[in-house]
Amino acid sequence: MRITNLRKSYQVSGHHLPVLEGLNLEVADQGITVVLGRSGCGKTTLLRLVAGLEEADSGQIQWESRKDADQSAGQENTDAGQNRQSRGTSARSGACRIGVIFQEPRLMPWLTVERNILFGVRDRTRGQEMLPRLLELTGLAGFEKARPGQLSGGMQQRVALARALAYGPDYLLMDEPFAALDYFTRAQMQQELLKIYQTERKGILFVTHSMEEALTIGTHIVVLEGGVCGSEYHLETAGFPRDLLSTEMIRLKRELISRIEEPQKAV
Amino acid sequence: MGLRRSWKTVLGILILLALWQVAAGSGIWSAYVLPPPAKVARAMGTMLRSGVLLRHILVSGRRVLVGFSIAFALAMAAGTIASQVRAVEEYYGGFLEFMRHVPPISLIALLILWFGIGETSKIIIIVLASFFPMYLNIRKGFVSGSQKLLEVGTVFGLTGWQKFCRIVLPSAVPDILVGMRIGLGFSWRAIIGAEMIAAASGLGYLILDAQQMSRSDKVIAGILTIGTVGILCDRVFSLVIHKVTGTNGK
Repeated sequence: MRITNLRKSYQVSGHHLPVLEGLNLEVADQGITVVLGRSGCGKTTLLRLVAGLEEADSGQIQWESRKDADQSAGQENTDAGQNRQSRGTSARSGACRIGVIFQEPRLMPWLTVERNILFGVRDRTRGQEMLPRLLELTGLAGFEKARPGQLSGGMQQRVALARALAYGPDYLLMDEPFAALDYFTRAQMQQELLKIYQTERKGILFVTHSMEEALTIGTHIVVLEGGVCGSEYHLETAGFPRDLLSTEMIRLKRELISRIEEPQKAV
Repeated sequence: MGLRRSWKTVLGILILLALWQVAAGSGIWSAYVLPPPAKVARAMGTMLRSGVLLRHILVSGRRVLVGFSIAFALAMAAGTIASQVRAVEEYYGGFLEFMRHVPPISLIALLILWFGIGETSKIIIIVLASFFPMYLNIRKGFVSGSQKLLEVGTVFGLTGWQKFCRIVLPSAVPDILVGMRIGLGFSWRAIIGAEMIAAASGLGYLILDAQQMSRSDKVIAGILTIGTVGILCDRVFSLVIHKVTGTNGK
């Protein structure tokens, strides 16, 4: 996925508020690209633009269409792509299935875990076939008949993850999905995400404000500052699991901190 | 706790009955102005045994059921349009807002003129009375349907209609049920009013007829019946609400 010269601004009580100012970014279709930045730097806006939930003022988001998807999924891809385009996002091109995981689980409270997971799946039989594997993968086996209200925050976010995976996406977009969880659950979810990543091999665009999170899961870290990509770090060669206390990681973290704090010093 | 509360309720009613008995027995007012509880109970017993009371209850109940169902269907349709096609609502929104402030009973003269004193005019009264609480609640449920959940529909590529059926409608169920409950209460009140103006049957007619026969004991028996049936309807409905929302999320 390639993002070129993306611009987006909002009008907030009469003020023109530019958020993204000509952002360029390339997201590998295998790998976890982490977008890191302070609050209000436009991380979520970027993700919402990619997901098609908002329209860019200008710029392009291009997908490389995948041919290895099966025929029926390919058909649905085109439908989804057209839907998104018909809403006027001329800046988005290519046909690609995207799974989105929001900061909150956003489950349908009236549906069981099972029905929530299959929410985006049109082919019922195919859904039933893959359900056991998804439940297993996300550690939800045995909870398929529970309601979201009966689950903890971490469990709900697992359901959201399973729901996104069930959709059969080419890319996963994750908007600070673990930010609302406590430290231990968060660490556990990060490890589980890595496990899922290693079995599914999806391209992931992951937005976070946590440096530890970025260093734990990112294969490519992008620091967003001033509405553009400030600096990028490639960690493709660093395997998983990572030791955040290793010299290399501490050096990287120090660099990230200085990067993120820099704009403030300039003011 | 539930038992203690129901004890308090019963005790309150007993105190009220005792006060009534004392006031009626004191001789300050004549038995015509304030009939003693025993006389009212006798009148009610007689009407119950002869089946007159049940017949009137069923007649009123049938009218409520028909009118309420029509009003519900209309409210669902109008609420759906209001939430899905905002532009169309602007055309009828003003008229509805006007009608909301017109008490249905005030229309009865016109309704009798247009539809006669048959069932039609009474059912229209009920529809008018129960439509608005249902419409407003249904509309609220549809419009306030979580934006965040709708975005989930968007990212899964659902069409507008699919989003309505799979997200908006189920998330509005609690609001719809609340509207129905209020609407049912309103229909019950409205039918009594309509029957007191033009009818030959029903609980409203029963009270009016008793008044003209100077039977204040039967009037009070009629009032007690209306209250009791109203409470029963509401209880049954809230039980249904509990069942549906209890097993249906929330």
